[in-house]
Amino acid sequence: MDTVFKGEHLLPGQIGQFFIVLSFGAALLSCISYYFATTEDAGKQDSVWQKLGRIGFFVNTAAILGIGTCLFYLIYKHYFEYHYAWAYTSRSLPIYYIISAFWNGQEGGFLLWLFWQSVLGIVLIFRAKSWERPVMTVIALSQVMLATMVLGVEVLGQRIGSSPFLLLRQSMEAPIFSNPNYLEFIKDGQGMVPSLQNYWMIIHPPTLFLGFASMVVPFAYAIAGLWQKKYKDWVQPAIPYTLFACMILGTGVVMGSFWAYESLNFGGFWAWDPVENASIFPWITLVAAVHVLVVYKNTGHSYFTATFLVLISFVLVWYSSFLNRSGILGDTSVHSFTDLGMFWQLVIGIMLFLILSVALLVRRWKELPITKKDEETYSREFWMFVGAVFLSLSCFHLLVVTSVPVWNAMFKTKIAPPSDIIKHYNVIQSSFVLVITLLTGFTQFLKYKKTDVTRFFITTGIYLLFAALVTALIVYATGVYKLNIVFVLVMCGSVYSVIANAKVLADAFKGKFKLAGSAVAHIGFGLLMIGALISAGTSSVISINNTGEGFSQDFAKEQNPRENITVYRNQPLKMGDYMVTYIGDSISSPNHFFKINYKKTDASGKVTDEFTLKPKVQVNKGQLASSPDTRHYLLHDLYTHITMTNAITATEGGSENADAAHDADNDDKNYDAPVAHEVAPGDTIRYRDGYIVLKALSKETKVQNIPLTDSDVAIGADLEVVSNGNKYSARPVYMIKNGNVFDFARKVDDAGLKLRFSKVIPETKKVEIMVFQQPESKKKFVVMKAIQFPYINFFWAGTIIMVIGFFLSILRRNKELKTV
Amino acid sequence: MKKSSIFGLIVIAIAIAVIISVYSNSSTYGSFGDASKTNSELHIVGHLNKSKELFYDATKDANYFSFYMKDNKGEERKVIFTGTKPEDFERSEQLVLTGAMVGNEFHASKILMKCPSKYTQDKIEVTEVKAKQASI
Repeated sequence: MDTVFKGEHLLPGQIGQFFIVLSFGAALLSCISYYFATTEDAGKQDSVWQKLGRIGFFVNTAAILGIGTCLFYLIYKHYFEYHYAWAYTSRSLPIYYIISAFWNGQEGGFLLWLFWQSVLGIVLIFRAKSWERPVMTVIALSQVMLATMVLGVEVLGQRIGSSPFLLLRQSMEAPIFSNPNYLEFIKDGQGMVPSLQNYWMIIHPPTLFLGFASMVVPFAYAIAGLWQKKYKDWVQPAIPYTLFACMILGTGVVMGSFWAYESLNFGGFWAWDPVENASIFPWITLVAAVHVLVVYKNTGHSYFTATFLVLISFVLVWYSSFLNRSGILGDTSVHSFTDLGMFWQLVIGIMLFLILSVALLVRRWKELPITKKDEETYSREFWMFVGAVFLSLSCFHLLVVTSVPVWNAMFKTKIAPPSDIIKHYNVIQSSFVLVITLLTGFTQFLKYKKTDVTRFFITTGIYLLFAALVTALIVYATGVYKLNIVFVLVMCGSVYSVIANAKVLADAFKGKFKLAGSAVAHIGFGLLMIGALISAGTSSVISINNTGEGFSQDFAKEQNPRENITVYRNQPLKMGDYMVTYIGDSISSPNHFFKINYKKTDASGKVTDEFTLKPKVQVNKGQLASSPDTRHYLLHDLYTHITMTNAITATEGGSENADAAHDADNDDKNYDAPVAHEVAPGDTIRYRDGYIVLKALSKETKVQNIPLTDSDVAIGADLEVVSNGNKYSARPVYMIKNGNVFDFARKVDDAGLKLRFSKVIPETKKVEIMVFQQPESKKKFVVMKAIQFPYINFFWAGTIIMVIGFFLSILRRNKELKTV
Repeated sequence: MKKSSIFGLIVIAIAIAVIISVYSNSSTYGSFGDASKTNSELHIVGHLNKSKELFYDATKDANYFSFYMKDNKGEERKVIFTGTKPEDFERSEQLVLTGAMVGNEFHASKILMKCPSKYTQDKIEVTEVKAKQASI
């Protein structure tokens, strides 16, 4: 283009783009150098290649920091000539969200991943010792692949990657960009989508990407082990990193789940959305991998399974980014990204690591230390192996269903996912969980190599019986027994797992402390399942509404109960055990909070529980996004979510339709035909929602900005309005000025009233008050949904306990590493 | 037979069972025409007919929303959804309904709308720019 554009700040973008290319080049250099350090300089203490590899990697890390700095600079400076700054931020965005705007786009996600991977690489340079060269070759290779994703350079007419430093005018076609002064017209950016303006947006993506990034470490060790034919040695150093990846990715996923529960309107903590599923594929396989790695370390069994699971976990990380970012899930997921034109590049990413893994496994197949002997039936290793296989099967099922759009694309079929997909997932996944929880329970009573069979059966039996009793109690108390039998069995399995591992934990406190980690993690998993089962299985919608006009009888019969309820402002409504009232609004742009008051009374009418929830609706350029609010109790949560409202005016949130606001002349149209009442002071006027008392007439009334002379008269009517038990006061004014009659109406918005003092009737000493009532449809209302989630705290507590368990295991395995 | 081979067979059997159960549970993408021939639920892809009435009145029934959708074969039917009207429904570019025909009406249990503005702002942005240019 020949046009010289005014006001653009091209320098930071150019520096940033330079850093991107530098990071790519340095990663490539590091990868090649480490490769030669491994092959050419094998056995040599001092290697120039290794030094070069390190330098390459350090430069790569520095360049990534440089990219981050440049990107942050132009977001912070509001340089809207850059697409990234324009698309995700605006001038009014608070500083802490400017940080999270950094990873709002897909490019930012890749940058975050690159960043964490480089941090892990540096940790490995200092810690991996003899493993550094081969392991770093793989990590640098992964850095190269990731760097291509943000490269944004055209090679042979094909754009590779998507750069965050793309200019707005390069990213889209519009006539405005032919104007050299176009920047003068772009005053502000699009701003962050309101539902992302949340503190979870600040911590969830970095955690999740640290989880994804850390999966590369066990992968690199496994590849290095195969490559260097050190089949046994890689396992032990890889175990702590594998545990770390499981811990962080698990935390990241559950953070997302908590975010969804707390502030998005999924109506629960897990919706089986393809994007959610994709994020746990690698987690499940890596958890399975940890178990068989430990088996291999202790007994020499399951070598192939361990290696395979570690390798496939990393391939699945790439597969899940492909699912999320290629746009292939468009028909099945609510929140996958659209394609940035990198479909095939992402496929290449998967294939690179898949082919590398398969090729190495095939080449080394004959040398692999696969045991010919079967494991003992009553040995811990055998059942841990079985558990790992069942975890993989569970992942396999998730993968088959989630990938339906992929199968359709590959085989040109037109299969749709199961229509009641939630039920499908719940039942099948629960069957796997049942097996897994039972295994995490009774395997604790088995020893490696060989176990005393009679004793094993007795202990297992006793604990199982005990667990069954506890389950019966829980199931009866919570109502889980009404569900599918599978869920009752899973409950039993989870309880069993918790009890059996509690025993191990008790033993751990007596001295075998090194076993504490796994016991704690298993207890956490068991509790998590118990919480998930009860809260998802017995959550109940309490905003049941059968009052609709019934558009057809059949419709009502078939679809009952209906789950949304209309609540008018200041009109209490009975909902379940509660009396709910929409008592008001509070607005702090872009948030519009609705104050919903809940009151629970006992038989005598005494209030036993009262609280106000503030679910909110965010307004952004005419779009509305609703976030629930939840009342947390120790044993259950009460969740309230606005599904629809008429209380938001078009003027909120900077909408362009400001002129649609109030128009005084048409105001009467918002009310039913007025009713005139002739009253004297002390009289009462009744109307639909309550009554109005004329307290007094006051003559010393002033109306703002209107000076009165001696001949003018202004009388105010002091009215007390009682509507649905609430009191309001209003003073409409009647005025004679210069011989003309005026009156000033007063509105009581909360009661949906407008009151006019329209006439004075001297003969009867009465006055006329006109009462305008808003019709139901003009009154402010919210349509809301309220759900009770019992025992959800078990789910969150279980997660935290599981993470602690992983952490304890990392400490233990690290210690082992040092003592060896 | 060795124990590991038996276990291997069990695993393969479960894997096959999983595939079969997914396949038999899976629904199909179809048209309104297909939907009227079957009682089972299926997925229909189409787009909203914006010229016809969208009916939702919370003051009458907070759980009744009806609209007209044209499927990809061009056939149009009235659709009823037992719930509130989703935000930005009018802006949707594509709808994926899950449900079944009841008489002449399609009763949807799930609506997935593609409204590219919400999570990725790339597509409607072009019009945004033009609007700004015009207003200044």
